[in-house]
Amino acid sequence: MATRTIRVDYLARVEGEGALDLQISDGRLVAARLSIFEPPRFFEAFLRGRGYMETPDIVARICGICPIAYQMSAVHAIENAFGVTVGGQLRALRRLIYCGEWIESHALHVVMLHAPDFLGYPDAIAMARDHGDAVRSGLALKKTGNDLLRLLGGREIHPVNVRPGGFYRVPQRSELEPIAERLKMARDQAVGLVRWVATFPFPDLERDYEFVALRHANEYPLNEGRIVSNRDIDIDIADYESEFEERHVAHSTALHSLLKRRGAYLVGPLARYALNFDRLPAGVRALAAEAGLAAVCNNPFRSIIVRAIEIVYACEEALRLIAAYELADAASVPVEPRAGVGFGCTEAPRGICWHRYAFDADGTILTARIVPPTAQNQPSIEADLMAVAAPLVLEPDDVIRDRCEQSIRNYDPCISCSTHFLKLSVHRT
Amino acid sequence: MKEAPARKVLVVGLGNPDRGDDGVGPVVARELSGVLPTDVAITWPSGDALSLIAAWSGFDAVIFIDAAAPARTPGRIHRFDLAKTELPRGLNYASSHALSVADAIGLARVLRQAPQDIIVYAVEGASFACGAPMTPEVADAAVKVTGRVVAEVARLRQSANELTADA
Repeated sequence: MATRTIRVDYLARVEGEGALDLQISDGRLVAARLSIFEPPRFFEAFLRGRGYMETPDIVARICGICPIAYQMSAVHAIENAFGVTVGGQLRALRRLIYCGEWIESHALHVVMLHAPDFLGYPDAIAMARDHGDAVRSGLALKKTGNDLLRLLGGREIHPVNVRPGGFYRVPQRSELEPIAERLKMARDQAVGLVRWVATFPFPDLERDYEFVALRHANEYPLNEGRIVSNRDIDIDIADYESEFEERHVAHSTALHSLLKRRGAYLVGPLARYALNFDRLPAGVRALAAEAGLAAVCNNPFRSIIVRAIEIVYACEEALRLIAAYELADAASVPVEPRAGVGFGCTEAPRGICWHRYAFDADGTILTARIVPPTAQNQPSIEADLMAVAAPLVLEPDDVIRDRCEQSIRNYDPCISCSTHFLKLSVHRT
Repeated sequence: MKEAPARKVLVVGLGNPDRGDDGVGPVVARELSGVLPTDVAITWPSGDALSLIAAWSGFDAVIFIDAAAPARTPGRIHRFDLAKTELPRGLNYASSHALSVADAIGLARVLRQAPQDIIVYAVEGASFACGAPMTPEVADAAVKVTGRVVAEVARLRQSANELTADA
């Protein structure tokens, strides 16, 4: 019996450290395991005993790309526990800063990390020689997103201006006007990006996903909504644990999230888009149609188009929020701690980011639980890899490897959040 | 004859001041504030490397000061003139979300958005522990690098004509 092994020590253009093992026996793919070996980071443990006011700044450190997702889920959970509602312009500013995060995160992934896969380049630097304008657009979009984060958050990496009840400081209207001009240009650049990625060659793969995302009464979801799926889930975020569970698997230091009743599910742009297509503005929906997308997209490789569509949406939403902005009376509403449990769930660029905290009477954290999007997508990534690699088992190892890496990058996996990523091994027996 | 304007120079201190020797870049950059001519820009950014491409837009020359991984001698100073040599690729960690300074330089050069002159001072560190002070060897090196950057800036500010005359 012949054994064949392909090994990639570290996959570039994904975050973190781990490995992928493909088991091929008698010409048939029998297993695809995503083995995450990054040490656990223990955020939930060292949040215990810390005060509620410290929480946004601690959880921001979970990720340098999506710190707002962690800050927003945390402050919503704190406010949920203490019976606080943040509305009006403070709520709008939270939505605005989240738009900045979507723009910078999606632009980085679409242009710098994922596009080279489709066009046959080893990285964005090589791609830039032939696609300079697209790379310039990507850099400009990322800068605009970062500028928005810096303006509202104090800095673009691990922002420091978010607090329970609102912000430490809110901007004057005059501070938002210059960035509105840049957002108008960014919107046009993002439309160009949609049209560019829509021309890519896409592998022919349709998967029968259970999509899971937030759904809000009248908004494309960012900070608020119910947790819904395309099967039968429609629950309050406080009931997350009734439908979902985390399991430890031997080959991953990041917990696998599963639907208790049905197993793997998908969070992120494809899920958000499929479950909230009707919440997109008509112009964005028309652009999606122009790019060849129906109201639901089951091809994971086309997630790059959906990400680009979400950049356009985030630019338009940011412009709408800025146009309607009025200076709030105060930068935050009062927050008085009390004993209790609070839940927060927001839409990180990679999917829902769910938090639960228990507090004692003075707001000290007793327990914390944080479920990041990439941890939730691990079983779905493995199922995708089975579907992608199975028809390729007779192909050379480098063909299998490249397609598997591309498949993993469909998820923009942030393993440093879930814990980290990747070397690839193919074992043939 | 009208004097040519000085070339625009940017000095960038890279690193985390809360991680021991990794803070050598920001320490040197802060030390240079008030020492260098007022038309020289100094920064110690905390953002990702890609944002440097926008930060150095319009500058003729950029000088980076950064810590290097321990190799042989803590505090040893390496100087790279990227017009003459490439940054050792082994210095880069292949992360996705935080592209390296070398990646940013490579990308900017392809896009024709890189300064004409790029000089990198890298100081071999010994300790990168959270909250730790710089080791004495790297603290000594920081003083030496500060002096060398002052001289480097003076050279780089010279106009192209002056540089030709010097040669």
